[in-house]
Amino acid sequence: MSGNNHQYAFFLGCIAPNRYPGIEAAAIRTSKNVGIDLLPLKGASCCPAPGAFGSIDLNVWYAMAARNVVLAEQMGMDIALVCNGCYKSIWEVNHKLKHNDELRDGVNEVLKEIDMEFKGTVDVWHLAELYYDPKIVGVKKIADSVKRPLTGAKVAVHYGCHLMKPGKERHFGDTENPMWIEELVAALGAEPVQYRNKMQCCGAGGGVRGYDLTHALDITNEKLINLQEVGADALTEVCPFCQLQYDRGQVEIQDKFGITWGLPVLHYNELLGLAQGMNPDELALDLHAIDVEPFLKKIL
Amino acid sequence: MAVKKDYKDQKLAEKLRDRKYYIPDSNPEFLKEVEKIGQTAAHMCYQCGTCTGSCPSAPRSSYRIRLFMRKAVLGLEEEALTDPDLWLCTTCYSCTDRCPRDLAPTDAIMAMRNLAFKRDIVPRNFLQTVQLIYKSGHGVPNNDANRAARKKLGLDEEPETTHKYPEYLPGIQKILDHYRLKENADRILAEGE
Repeated sequence: MSGNNHQYAFFLGCIAPNRYPGIEAAAIRTSKNVGIDLLPLKGASCCPAPGAFGSIDLNVWYAMAARNVVLAEQMGMDIALVCNGCYKSIWEVNHKLKHNDELRDGVNEVLKEIDMEFKGTVDVWHLAELYYDPKIVGVKKIADSVKRPLTGAKVAVHYGCHLMKPGKERHFGDTENPMWIEELVAALGAEPVQYRNKMQCCGAGGGVRGYDLTHALDITNEKLINLQEVGADALTEVCPFCQLQYDRGQVEIQDKFGITWGLPVLHYNELLGLAQGMNPDELALDLHAIDVEPFLKKIL
Repeated sequence: MAVKKDYKDQKLAEKLRDRKYYIPDSNPEFLKEVEKIGQTAAHMCYQCGTCTGSCPSAPRSSYRIRLFMRKAVLGLEEEALTDPDLWLCTTCYSCTDRCPRDLAPTDAIMAMRNLAFKRDIVPRNFLQTVQLIYKSGHGVPNNDANRAARKKLGLDEEPETTHKYPEYLPGIQKILDHYRLKENADRILAEGE
């Protein structure tokens, strides 16, 4: 029934395709199983990284993100993506340029140099919100796609920052204690668990991971303390940069602080892939710095 | 006719007159620039501290977002832009979500960082990201181990981005050159060698 599927231009970003390609592979397959076709967005670049570029010169950030949006405009297709950082750049710049003529004119002046023009004809979505949206997929359809329920696994959710915040500019409602990703986790048969300070940042954003790694890891470590208190078997998120911070971060925490956590970290698409029957090999889970095996033993 | 009551002693009156906070190197233009770039009315801040209380960086450093808001309002440009703490904001937007004055302290910080960059004050890792994107289109580029993993997954070794279609790179480089960003990144990094 591919002809009836919803189609989106798939904006990859950097960390999913270049560090955790299992997220890319999973997103393409899992979304197809629930009626979404992700089509290549040829020639896309880094979103660009909102922390690094936004901090240096917001005008460059607008223009670079706009170029990626224009590629989708040329395809005549909305964008879907799998990373909160990309969401901040691509969604927010698209939104700002649609609603601020002065800003749009400034960006278009630069884009003219490369024969491009931002027209404001497409929308930008995080794949997770499309999964939750009953008009597109919905929790029920996600549950119906499950072949191997993740029964018995306690899974905690890290929402990350740049998908839902700042709340007044976004459309996700409550940013203090949201529960919609927990609903998506429960649909896979796993038990979503709550923990203290769920909405706290992973620590990596704003260029802090590169600027002061120890500081960033100390924030991550606080979250890991809170996660251990509730006995989570795994942490799931919807942002490859958060994933990198939790996954490789645990190795760095071991090195710097001498603390071992061993908490498997999985992008929601990887989790969904497992629940839909994909093998760990098909998700490149061996690329994760923290061994996912203890979690797999629980569910396979 | 109403007469304003004042101290009879002229010296005492002078001494006790209300004074606006003012120091010689305060620059009122600084506040205007922060408000314009950050698109937030920083002068509305009443220093309640909800921002610092919400900040994940505050408990583990001397970074205080409330202090930066005050420095913006008082025009303390030099102090704000030369403080290394400016770069400890993870841009999590918790302060922005909770601000009772509906301000965006996060975006005020971003504005101050933009202004710092104009004075060549910027951590090296930010500039290295610029160089990587100029060269490859990606802040985190592909590598051989990842190419092998992609192949095993049945994906193309290069993703459908500038990696697979390098003909899109000149467009990106033109945008960065328009703002002289690569040139400035190279220069600042070389000066720090």
